Amino acid sequence: MSETAAGWVGVALPLKEDARLVAGRGRFLDDLGRPHLLHAAMLRSPHAHARIVRLDVRAAAAMPGVLAVLTGAEAAARSGPIRPLIPTTAAVPDHCLAVDRVRYVGEPVVAVAAVDRATAEDALERIRVEYEPLPAVVDPEAAMRADAPLLYPALGTNVVWHDTLTYGDVDRAVARADGVLRERFTIQRYASTPLETFGAIAEYDAGTDAFEFWTNDQRPGLTISILAASLGVPQSRIRLHCPDIGGAFGNKRRPAYLLVCALLARAAGRPVKWIEDRIENLTALMHACNGIMDVELAYRADGTLLALLVRDVADEGKNLLTPTQHNLIKLGNIVNGYRIPAVRYEAWSVLTNKCPSGANRGIGKPFMCFAVERAMALLARRLGLDPAELRRRNYVTADQMPYTTPPGAQYDSGDYPATLERALERFDYTGWRAEQARARAEGRLLGIGIATSVEPAGTNLASYELVTGRRAASGSAEAAMVRVEPDGHVRVSLGDPSSGQGYETVVAQIVADELGVTPEGVSVARGFDSATTPWLYLSGNYSNKFSVTDVGAVVGAAARVRAKLLRIAAHRLEIDVTDLELRDGAAVVRGAPDRRLAIAELARTAYADVLGLPPGVDPGLEAHHIHQNPLAQPVDADRRVRSQLVFANAAHCCLVEIDPRIGRITLRKYVVVHDCGRELNPLIVEGMVHGSTVHGIGAALLEEFRYDETGQLLTSTFMDYLKPTAADVPTIEVDRLEHPSPVTPLGAKGVGEGGSIPGPAAVANAVEDALAHLGVVVRSLPITPEQVWRWLREA
Amino acid sequence: MTAGAPPAPAERLRVRLTVNGAAVEREVEARRSLADFLREDLALTGTHVGCEHGVCGACTVLIDGRSARSCLLLAVQLEGARVTTIEGLTPADGLSPLQEAFRACHAMQCGFCTPGMIVASTELLAATPAPDEAGIREALAGNLCMCTGYVNIVRAVAQAAVRLAVPAP
Repeated sequence: MSETAAGWVGVALPLKEDARLVAGRGRFLDDLGRPHLLHAAMLRSPHAHARIVRLDVRAAAAMPGVLAVLTGAEAAARSGPIRPLIPTTAAVPDHCLAVDRVRYVGEPVVAVAAVDRATAEDALERIRVEYEPLPAVVDPEAAMRADAPLLYPALGTNVVWHDTLTYGDVDRAVARADGVLRERFTIQRYASTPLETFGAIAEYDAGTDAFEFWTNDQRPGLTISILAASLGVPQSRIRLHCPDIGGAFGNKRRPAYLLVCALLARAAGRPVKWIEDRIENLTALMHACNGIMDVELAYRADGTLLALLVRDVADEGKNLLTPTQHNLIKLGNIVNGYRIPAVRYEAWSVLTNKCPSGANRGIGKPFMCFAVERAMALLARRLGLDPAELRRRNYVTADQMPYTTPPGAQYDSGDYPATLERALERFDYTGWRAEQARARAEGRLLGIGIATSVEPAGTNLASYELVTGRRAASGSAEAAMVRVEPDGHVRVSLGDPSSGQGYETVVAQIVADELGVTPEGVSVARGFDSATTPWLYLSGNYSNKFSVTDVGAVVGAAARVRAKLLRIAAHRLEIDVTDLELRDGAAVVRGAPDRRLAIAELARTAYADVLGLPPGVDPGLEAHHIHQNPLAQPVDADRRVRSQLVFANAAHCCLVEIDPRIGRITLRKYVVVHDCGRELNPLIVEGMVHGSTVHGIGAALLEEFRYDETGQLLTSTFMDYLKPTAADVPTIEVDRLEHPSPVTPLGAKGVGEGGSIPGPAAVANAVEDALAHLGVVVRSLPITPEQVWRWLREA
Repeated sequence: MTAGAPPAPAERLRVRLTVNGAAVEREVEARRSLADFLREDLALTGTHVGCEHGVCGACTVLIDGRSARSCLLLAVQLEGARVTTIEGLTPADGLSPLQEAFRACHAMQCGFCTPGMIVASTELLAATPAPDEAGIREALAGNLCMCTGYVNIVRAVAQAAVRLAVPAP
């Protein structure tokens, strides 16, 4: 930690990157070119499930301007299958283009590279494919049945994983309970739909048999590993760059598309760019996993929770890259913020003929929170308790921290009851309850929703051992480099490419404090470049992990440079190193501020006047550091594991008004009180809370990838897949508590996913609260005006 | 091309227009969208393409002072028009008061929607110098932002209105 008084960490510093973004001077993937660049387009399956009987690409290949055509069979001959994040039991080859069989609408079948995108798309129209449609399995419970159509006959099942994990004496808890609330909840497919779609440029250098990629893939570590394995080249001959990334939210990782571009580029002998269009994005990139949760909550008459039993069916679609993650990622915190001593969790991870499921802001936890917080609302009503009071009786309290949940997650710090109280106060809960009663008497429908949640950060891949029985990739770590250049300016790079989190600013703040300089004196590399950025298999922009691993990597690298600067200065000034501090851009003698050496002068010594270095000190001022979060440990003998590592928390309180004539739901007020530990830059933090809360509102009221029973996607444009607009949402009012994490280097926690986790539950609870007197129970999302109108008619 | 018959999609046509104050004359395919024309032919990459079906607003530009979706227009339709993009709204040195307000309020995260937001806000403030919150939200309802939840964008436009109302010293 810095000894200087500068204290840039914690300052709401306006963002460096905003200065370019606001002028349209960002550099996004589609802004980049390469000499002799070709453009790709992909022919996609119109069927949810079909056999490819015949494929004729000759007319397309013969078109002027078409330089390469790639079929699935050719892709399979020229590259290996996509290696999954962790190999699970679903060990079937997964090629970058469909081979012999298509398994969801929108699955890529043929790729074409041409002189421009229009020509490539013209060529697609000349491709002839004969399909033999097969029965599609769309519903995950249908897919679990023994007689279900199989996506992969070689697997003999659509079920990737089924297991029951029990923690504590569940049966005894249920037997001595005063009651058990049983309910079934479902969640739909939706996605955060970053405004910039996915894409890549691939270039092949035949002279060195090397590939270079530019992509907005948010998880470069895994992607490089997959590409090298599939292309059969060493990772040292893959170079991958990320420019500015126009939002990601978990969705932007599909190595298959980079592989397609690479194979086209190698075939054509020219670089190839592919930019996903919006229909491709909505149809085929990544959907948040839909699912079914059967929840049983055993309780005492006073509302004390005794056990939680969950049967969790995760619909993976055709996800072979990361199946089972939607189960594993919610297991540790399946009890949300509550002290529930016994847990039984039955997991099903199931393949269906739909778009691959995958990471989407909060991955799995929005459903965890929806199910648990809906159950809490229903239980409060059953017991005649205020929903706030039921929560108060069950929270993990501040004096119980750190608290280990039955499945093994460790809640590191926080005051969950105080977070709720602050939210109720900010919302004016008592006042609005009175107003609600008045409005009800006038026939108006007001509803108040409360939802609170934990927000985990960081992923421990060792949790996959629960599925595979053996350790493959494991742990939680990130890498960073800090270098004082020969002119004294500081350069930093990080294995995690920002997709809107302001790293160029917040990382500069952290390093400025460590080195006693200003953030203006620190340049943080945009994006990612595997040739200049230290990285790991785990590197990337995902899982809320910045505070868990990245900050530690930056602090660690800066601390090494700091130690070296001080050592050089001590030698030059002939003084003990402990008498020096770094501040105001110099090494300064404590108590004698006139005795100082500027960092630029120390850098000159380190790089140019190397005979001036102390004995045993190497030239240069550059350090790498990899921070491994110590909380990430293997699965223990009782099958407990910290699948995620650091826990923020939040309380959401919102007010809806329902128009009884047309079923319209208007959000009139929305208060968030959150606690993400130490806020490194409150301007960034608050923006994250606003944005992720609105993602939750969208999931609650608007967004759904709706499939018909044959597996056709009915919502594949922004005309029918509805996103919240500025006119649909209120100003999100934000307040905060700040309980630093004891397990991260600067006390920060995750914040990017927080709003998206309790948001759907809070809005659902408010809608139900407005309609509860009519017997309405909200069991699924989104809650559309049509649904409300039907409820009102049925009442 | 005979009168009345539409050109073939790949037929090349000449178009003359004004972009950010400069006269531009180019031969383009009839099917070339204004967005692609600006980005590919004129290298004005500040205009972003987010959906290509006219919903997201990322590609918003001003045409004769009014906002329009550049993804839904063909370049050849712009014969004689004055087109203003984010580049034309950015001073040679520094930022405009509206852009300054966006930065001060951190009214963006990934920044992909931001040029379209600036263009739409420019149109709003030209017509309504002191909009209220509902007016700002309504005016920006045609521009999707996936990052900010709109809170800071609305704040920024309100702040810009105040900045613009105060005459420069």
